[in-house]
Amino acid sequence: MKKFTLAAAVLGAVALGATGAHAQSRDQIRIVGSSTVFPFSTAVAEEFGRTTSFKTPIVESTGTGGGLKLFCAGVGTGHPDITNASRRIKKSEVDQCTQNGVNGIIEVKIGFDGIVVAASKDAEPMTLTLRDLYLALAAKVPAPGTDGGEANLIDNPYTTWAEVNPDLPNRKIEVLGPPPTSGTRDAFDELAIEGGCVTFSGNKAMAKSNSKLFKAACHGLREDGAYIEAGENDNLIVQKLQANTNAIGVFGFSFLDQNADVIQGFPISHDDMAAVEPTFDDIASGAYPISRSLYFYVKKAHIGVVPGIREFLSEFTSDKAWGDLGYLADRGLIPLPEDERAKVEADAANLNELKLD
Amino acid sequence: MTNSAIFFVLVLLALVAFATARQRSLRVVDGDTAKLHSLPRHYGYFAATCVLVPGLLVLALWLMFGKSIIEGLVVNGLPDAIQAEYADRITLLLNRIRLVVENASTQETNVDILAAAERFHSLYLKGLWAAFSLSASFGLVGLYTAINRTKADFRARNVFERVLNALLILSSVIAIATTLGIVGSLLFESLRFFAEVPLGDFLFGLKWSPQTALRADQVGASGSFGAVPLFAGTFMISLLAMLVAGPIGLMSAIYLTQYASTRMRRIAKPALEILAGVPTVVYGFFAALTIAPLFRDTGEFLGLDIASESALAAGFVMGIMIIPFVSSLSDDAITAVPRSLRDGSLALGATPSETITKVLVPAALPGIVGAFLLAISRAVGETMIVVMAAGMQPNLTANPFEAVTTVTVQIVALLTGDQEFDSAKTLSAFALGLVLFVITMGLNIFALRIVRKYREAYD
Amino acid sequence: MSDNADFRPTDWGSDKMQARLRNRYRKERTFRVAGFAAVIAAGLFLVSLLFSIVRDGSMGFLQTSVDLDVTFSAEILGDPRAMTPEAFDEGVRRVNMQRLLLSALTDYFPEATSRRDQRALLKLVSTGARDQLRQMVLDKPDIVGTKQTVRLLAADDIDQLRKGKIDADAHENDRKVKDQELGWYKKLVADDRISLNFHTEFLTSGDSREPELAGIWGATVGSALTLMVTLLIAFPVGVLTAIYLEEFAPKNRITDFIEVNINNLAAVPSIVFGLLGLALFLGVMNLPRSAPLVGGLTLALMTLPTIIIASRASIKAVPPSIRDAARGLGASPMQVVFHHVVPLAMPGILTGTIIGMAQALGETAPLLMIGMVAFIVDIPGGVTDAATALPVQIYLWADSPERAFVEKTSAAIMVLLAFLIAMNGVAIWLRQKFERHW
Repeated sequence: MKKFTLAAAVLGAVALGATGAHAQSRDQIRIVGSSTVFPFSTAVAEEFGRTTSFKTPIVESTGTGGGLKLFCAGVGTGHPDITNASRRIKKSEVDQCTQNGVNGIIEVKIGFDGIVVAASKDAEPMTLTLRDLYLALAAKVPAPGTDGGEANLIDNPYTTWAEVNPDLPNRKIEVLGPPPTSGTRDAFDELAIEGGCVTFSGNKAMAKSNSKLFKAACHGLREDGAYIEAGENDNLIVQKLQANTNAIGVFGFSFLDQNADVIQGFPISHDDMAAVEPTFDDIASGAYPISRSLYFYVKKAHIGVVPGIREFLSEFTSDKAWGDLGYLADRGLIPLPEDERAKVEADAANLNELKLD
Repeated sequence: MTNSAIFFVLVLLALVAFATARQRSLRVVDGDTAKLHSLPRHYGYFAATCVLVPGLLVLALWLMFGKSIIEGLVVNGLPDAIQAEYADRITLLLNRIRLVVENASTQETNVDILAAAERFHSLYLKGLWAAFSLSASFGLVGLYTAINRTKADFRARNVFERVLNALLILSSVIAIATTLGIVGSLLFESLRFFAEVPLGDFLFGLKWSPQTALRADQVGASGSFGAVPLFAGTFMISLLAMLVAGPIGLMSAIYLTQYASTRMRRIAKPALEILAGVPTVVYGFFAALTIAPLFRDTGEFLGLDIASESALAAGFVMGIMIIPFVSSLSDDAITAVPRSLRDGSLALGATPSETITKVLVPAALPGIVGAFLLAISRAVGETMIVVMAAGMQPNLTANPFEAVTTVTVQIVALLTGDQEFDSAKTLSAFALGLVLFVITMGLNIFALRIVRKYREAYD
Repeated sequence: MSDNADFRPTDWGSDKMQARLRNRYRKERTFRVAGFAAVIAAGLFLVSLLFSIVRDGSMGFLQTSVDLDVTFSAEILGDPRAMTPEAFDEGVRRVNMQRLLLSALTDYFPEATSRRDQRALLKLVSTGARDQLRQMVLDKPDIVGTKQTVRLLAADDIDQLRKGKIDADAHENDRKVKDQELGWYKKLVADDRISLNFHTEFLTSGDSREPELAGIWGATVGSALTLMVTLLIAFPVGVLTAIYLEEFAPKNRITDFIEVNINNLAAVPSIVFGLLGLALFLGVMNLPRSAPLVGGLTLALMTLPTIIIASRASIKAVPPSIRDAARGLGASPMQVVFHHVVPLAMPGILTGTIIGMAQALGETAPLLMIGMVAFIVDIPGGVTDAATALPVQIYLWADSPERAFVEKTSAAIMVLLAFLIAMNGVAIWLRQKFERHW
């Protein structure tokens, strides 16, 4: 009993000693946000910590929505300085920010992330159009022989790729992809599925006549087992693809880049254009159809109070980081075109505030 | 002088108080302890309490409010211009000051801030000394009072036990407050959700499809927030897990307590407990990359169509994870049954297995049921294994070979996703949590009944 | 006595009785075998799990190095004899060490002359090599002007190649290391300059985005601090609550309701505790984000029900006769509980604590809410410093694109298991000390 008391006393003192540190300033940048931007943000943070006299920033992976929520909760040392986002900030979120006194947000667009459709190296290669992806994966598709529109939508009847498009192999439709809560899924829905959806003239007309139904028809994915919501761990999808050569995966380009020896990315095309392989250069040039922009947002009020934010901004926007041959490109970030980079860099250096239109 | 030094001084003072009071109590009765109302050490405990309680109270007050009082003083001392500039962001201003105090920043040039930092520092030191002298003198007063009261007829034990009782109640209040906090927050947020989505749709809807409801223009679209598939999935996976963990866990516990040698038990019981501590990510990978393909291939061989993402794989691996919950806690419950019962049963000619099933298990029933409940709870609360091995597809199916998802998985996905916040979507996580809470509560009440009905209380 | 006339002793030798006995013994054997099979099955699961972890993880403790002849040229570094030590240090800190590396590499591979080739050459060694060289110069300024063979960390691709994780025979397009680098690698191997060594830095450094520089120590310290707080709060509060509810609280509807609710807490998804921690500790109490203090408190809330349930069950299991005997000898209710009931219930209480702490050690979801799922390089020095925890580190590494993180993940799991075993070891030792049969 006495030993316990003594141990408790010592531990209590240790705990107190650690909490009672003198004044506790925050001299470390705090970053929150998207798990997609996380690998890039951490790489910059590490380099920043190593090459400057500032402490290495703390980067949390909270998801874009969670990150913006924290970011917009207020100004002060209890709130993060920067948030990463795999989509642009929304009007409602900016309003929330303003409401909580977060005025003056600096937006930095850092590059692109390609979303690839890939399978095991042992699988038969396929060349897909956005229309194929739409027909194979959407919950509602136009009845065969029609051009879509409200009257002609039926539950997706296709079970093999060959039924979707006779040129494709006769292989079961089995696609592992992100769940609806993920930003990757949003981008995939918007770029690939909607892109294929509007190739049907009836659907396209629906966009104006009944936008609600249009969104449901052109964004809703199948829930009958052909599209499998596989969680956010892209490494796991890659490994599942290796185990199951029938399956096709949807995930970020950096995972294809790192695993090019075991998986292949399928070329994708808009219907009237040539198919484009998901390569670094083609995503950068914008030729590859499914890619989205990545951002981070900085709280202007914190600059000058939390040390190092300005320097972190310039490290991130330096050529050795986000340039064509920078270390972020090594990690799979697709850089912006050079002129856009120059513009964003200048905006960041001048701390120009975000204006949503 | 630091906070932990104050703490140390108090502890030291308490030790002195213990020793002095104990000595004094002995001296009062000239070593004849029979004349004392309580044992000498009770006088010691009483004195130590008298020192610690007021002293720690002062320290706690200082830790809680000291800093903000000093900050208020420092900020008020700054010129109005700076105060106005940071009107709604005081913490930023304070951070500038603190950075100077800690010399972490060399960039500060504002004279007012530098002066404020100086003031902050000196005030902090003053505060610290004040806290020290106050808590030490409170402790000394306590010490003095306690020593003065150490008389032969002073009921030291009763007073000390009242303090202990207060401590017990305080702990219970913490536990109960946690419960209330959880229930309250679930309830509050759920009400907001049910203001947007009708309760009936949520409880009886057969389609869970947050993606159609995620869009701002479709919030609350009918039918998309039907929670039935999620609960069905949770039920199926937990059931599968218990089918694995229940028999294996209980039989291991029985074997280890009744048949195995002491040495084997000493090794096996802690070894099995490792299973509970393996991080769930590991189980997730194990389920997705080892077990799931194994099941799929076996299924193919047997002519069954088992999906690569199946409830079976997730449930099986989760069952492995919760084996120790069943085995260790049941083990303790069985061990705690008085030996006389077992000996009596054996002496009457029952075989060991008869003794176990007819005497030991009924006697240990509350503990065993508790173990099962804890295991089920853990299975219900698990996410990572399900996400990795069974996917996130809300299917309404009774077929364990298909992909399903669970309530907890959806809660985590909804709370950590990339979507806009404060939508019906985020709130639905709380509604799911609440319904889960109500269901497990039903389960617990049911279990309590079972225990009351079948428990054999001996001794 | 007359109604006992029919009484005959059981004829144990009769066929009927013999058959019954045989049947009972057979059942006994089956039961025993079933029990043994259960233990074996559970053991097999454990062994196969451990095997798969160790198989993948053991490589994570090894790291490939490259021996290079580095010329520490005074031109680049400055001459320590010509200036003050402070000025020299300052200069060395600012020098781009890449130049030293590049000249060492181009000396060895004179054929690489174009800028593109030189860039590729630099990718043979880790980015950490720069700091390694800098540290060497700072430690021993005399080294300037000499040529030394230095063992430098190889880049993760080379490391994977050495470990056979990248197939050198595959077609160039199918592998991460291109033919040019493969040629260089083969030359280095031929000259015996590539070696695979135990990687102590893995156990002593913090996180990094480079697999070859990443270490587990930061997360280990974070976990230790977090669990210390959890134990300090959850164990006393949990046990005291259990004692109060079981021994002192009046038995009525309200306490029944409380009991059911506490049992229920164990099934609340752990992320909800994270939300509570976020609201309470960060929102109301203004404690720092990402701190082990907050993580520990949050996990304590989560472990509390487990400890309370297990403690109550084992307190309940203490035979009433012991309480009655103690009461009869004049002990006060408090003395009965603290001198007799609690020590006897201790094994069960400790089991609950072991399981609860093991769960707390493996948990990530609640930590997400309070900011501990983060990239943190610095090693935490106290419970209010920003820190991460072992399962979080595992989770983050498992989700990293770089292939070399796969083995780091498994190695980290091994560290976590070692941590778990060490932690449980103490509790189990205590449990066996307390265990009594009566």
